[in-house]
Amino acid sequence: MLYRRAGIRHTSYPKERQLWPLPFDRYLVTAVALFLLAAPFLVDRLYLVAYLLPWIIWSMAALGLNLLMGGAGQIHLAYGAVMAIGAYTSVHLVRAGVPFEFALVAAGLMSAAIGMIFGVAALRVKALYLAMSTLAMQYIVDFVISHSPAISGGTQATIQVPPVSFLGIALEGDLPMYYFALAVCVVVTLFMLNVQRTAFGRALAAVREKDYAAEVIGVDTFKYKLLAFWTSSFIGGVVGAVLVVSYLRSVSPDQFHIELSVQIVAMVIVGGLGSVLGSFFGAALILFTPIVLNNLVGALASGLGIAMSADLRAHIPLMLYGAMIVGFLVLEPLGLAKIYDNVRNYFLVWPFRHARR
Amino acid sequence: MTAPVLPRDLVVSWPTAPDGAPATVMAALARNARETADAVAFREREHGIWRERSWAATLDEVLALAAALETLGLGPGQALTVIGDNRTRLYLAMIAATALRAFPSPVFPDVPPDELTYYSRYGAPRIAVAEDQEQVDKLIDLRARTGRPVTIVYDDPRGLSGYPADVVVSYDSLIARGRARLAAEPGLAVDIVGRSGADDIAVLLHSSGTTGAPKGVPLRHRTVFAGVKNARAGGFLGEREELYAYLPSAWVGDFVFTVGAALLLRFTVNIPERQETVLRDLREVAPTWYLAAPRAWDNMLTRVQVGIEDSTPGKRALFAFFMPRAIEIERRRLAGRAPSLRERLLLAAGETFVFGPVKDFLGLSRIRNAYTGGEAVGEDTFLFFRALGVNLKQIYGQTESSALTAAQTDRDVKLHTVGRPLPGVEVRIDDNSEIVIKSGSVIDEYFDDAEATAKALADGWLHTGDAGYFEPDGQLVVLGRVSEVVNTAGGERYIPNYIENRIKFSAYVRNVAVVGDRRPELTAIVCIDEEAVGHWAEDRGISFTSYADLSQKTEVYDLVASVLRHVNTMLPPPLRLRRFVNLHKDFDPDDGEITRTRKLRRNVIEERYAPLIEALYAGVRTIDQDARITYESGETGSIRRTLSIRDVE
Repeated sequence: MLYRRAGIRHTSYPKERQLWPLPFDRYLVTAVALFLLAAPFLVDRLYLVAYLLPWIIWSMAALGLNLLMGGAGQIHLAYGAVMAIGAYTSVHLVRAGVPFEFALVAAGLMSAAIGMIFGVAALRVKALYLAMSTLAMQYIVDFVISHSPAISGGTQATIQVPPVSFLGIALEGDLPMYYFALAVCVVVTLFMLNVQRTAFGRALAAVREKDYAAEVIGVDTFKYKLLAFWTSSFIGGVVGAVLVVSYLRSVSPDQFHIELSVQIVAMVIVGGLGSVLGSFFGAALILFTPIVLNNLVGALASGLGIAMSADLRAHIPLMLYGAMIVGFLVLEPLGLAKIYDNVRNYFLVWPFRHARR
Repeated sequence: MTAPVLPRDLVVSWPTAPDGAPATVMAALARNARETADAVAFREREHGIWRERSWAATLDEVLALAAALETLGLGPGQALTVIGDNRTRLYLAMIAATALRAFPSPVFPDVPPDELTYYSRYGAPRIAVAEDQEQVDKLIDLRARTGRPVTIVYDDPRGLSGYPADVVVSYDSLIARGRARLAAEPGLAVDIVGRSGADDIAVLLHSSGTTGAPKGVPLRHRTVFAGVKNARAGGFLGEREELYAYLPSAWVGDFVFTVGAALLLRFTVNIPERQETVLRDLREVAPTWYLAAPRAWDNMLTRVQVGIEDSTPGKRALFAFFMPRAIEIERRRLAGRAPSLRERLLLAAGETFVFGPVKDFLGLSRIRNAYTGGEAVGEDTFLFFRALGVNLKQIYGQTESSALTAAQTDRDVKLHTVGRPLPGVEVRIDDNSEIVIKSGSVIDEYFDDAEATAKALADGWLHTGDAGYFEPDGQLVVLGRVSEVVNTAGGERYIPNYIENRIKFSAYVRNVAVVGDRRPELTAIVCIDEEAVGHWAEDRGISFTSYADLSQKTEVYDLVASVLRHVNTMLPPPLRLRRFVNLHKDFDPDDGEITRTRKLRRNVIEERYAPLIEALYAGVRTIDQDARITYESGETGSIRRTLSIRDVE
């Protein structure tokens, strides 16, 4: 009903491979892009800083991890640690007087370098074993950071981020911060959308499906697994830097513990492995559902006058939250992106049931 | 550094008709290449990608082709056999031939090898242009029997590398040869464009040959253009339409529209990837002007209905809500009652939820004018597409009148008429109710056939052989062939084709022959539609193995009987169908039972199925019947089966 496809014909192969061949998809993407651009002027400051900004940053993190998990099929339970490396690298460099532009890239490179070292484990071990070795990375990085005063500034220390500017624009106040995060997010998103269409993306897919089969058809799995860890960690480092500079404004080790890693893994899985759109959906669900449920349960409790102990009042939203995640995955194991895809297909083949020849 | 001078840059003038329009096909191409050089002339799908040719590039290619064909010996008054599916290169070869004052003679690609002899009788074709190996093989076979064609040009080189190089020549090498010749002879391009004149033959077609061997029908440049201009004057064609070229190029309409009208009115011609992908590619093309036989519209309707039956309950309910209402509104609109405001709102909502998406799915969303012709169209089909918002109208024409005799305008659409004569066409009804035509778009004579010319083209009027009459409002009604008027033993006059068409309006019947000449009552030989009946059977859990098996199921007999009973209600009692038999194979042009344009060959059927016809009147319940099958290789086989005979009532 919404999608019109008659008269769409491609006169060259590049045109056939464009990202959004259908007009309706293009309208939708344009509408979302316009909304995000105009958001500071449309929505309340609270929503901008407390909802949109973290959503953009966490979505980026999910995108970076999705390259590794959805793209190359390698599980990674230490993405929080990867972000921590980027965060600390950028903050220390900025404090040392290095321009933020360079610090941002250096954060990515540092994360990529260290992430790749742990990625070597992936060449030897798979699945649960890889999960264990990345989990080890999480704890080793946590330990090193909090026990090296040179990095963390002491066990309980918090390092403030000095004022920075990016490409001549001072990142002060909500607006520049928001637009900075949005700009980085656009770059990461475009990269992720396009990587699936490149030889690199296809090689990763081959490795994901069966690494020795990929080897048989001539894909150098050694190289591509390392590259996957490298690229994913680079994005993680950059996101870590963006996180501390434009959102947290200070850095301390407890921000990057295992909870963050698990949160991002959950975003990727709930959103949909390998899906760009799913990363955004997953981030939104994991970040906002607890808040929404909390408010909802609170409103219901007081509205209906149900006497509820503080304990119960705090736990019911968490139980519902867990039930929802399980529910979504039972409904569609391939994640929210797949649910969206199902809805889209429903309209795409309207008024028929499936695409007909 | 200056750009090299291309042959097309030299062509600045072309022969014109008295009204200033180009006089020949080549002249029209030269004009388009000059005036709208970069507009897309041909768009052909190749491995999923639409390859485009501008008018300028088209002219260059045609000039090179003409220059090279001349070196092969193609000259004035000679035919050029063209055989294959719709391909840009075959169309260009046709234009190139006319430029040399030779004429293309397109042949249906599915003609079996022995029938090729008929289609290469006229104009001594020394050269043939073939699409691929399949056609080259047929032509080599023909060459071994008749010595012609001497040279065979092929488009698709696959599988042709081992063929004798002195006989088969690739299109690509021909183009290279032509370009070299054009470069060496600077005056040649201008010369080629100026050679042909309006009185030259533009194409040699063959009449469908319902009776006997096909006759040669030569259309001249002025004949074709007169037809196009008549249609343009009547508003039936616009400038720069998006045209979909998928009908066989040996059929008159394809030359008139895809070459004649496309060049004169600067259409963009869209060519599908293969015959099998015609319907799917239609969606990518979304033409603005579309012509299809009633059968094709029926098939599209079936496709939609089958899809809706499979659909989810919500979507099905929406379709079931809007479609019958829209059809009812359209039925009343055709009867002269304008829709009320409420009905218009309903149609607007329907457009969003049902009609728009269905049109989009079929590729009909950009149609300005859609036509059906050749046979009567079923009421269900006609109303369905009109209700969808497709401006479907009826058109009438014959090979001898460049396919354009009469057509309906937006104001007078009716189910049973074919509209008024086009501007510039005079139509009269003869004493024996035959339709006769006089127009600039009618041929002067048949090719090398004075006898046929004298019979059909006496006194400047074309005797169509169709029986018909005028409605009081001036619209023409076509009943059928004059020669097909048949009497029963009781003296009742009827045209079997008329009844057959009404039976075929059912999606379940693909072909049918009504028998009753000098018989006491009418009976029918029915060929079910495998797809529609197959789907119907699946829905009801009726298992079957093959067409033959399906056709003999009791339930299928019940189904066909109900179709015939419905038709009987519209017929006068003496002409009602009494008995029928389901044939265990479909009529097929390869077996000679129908022509390639799907018209029944009654004499063949009466001869081949004589025992069956006797049985229909003998009161027996079953009969063993053979049916001959011709395979695509040309070999024949036969299948034998016991068929049941059933009373309709």
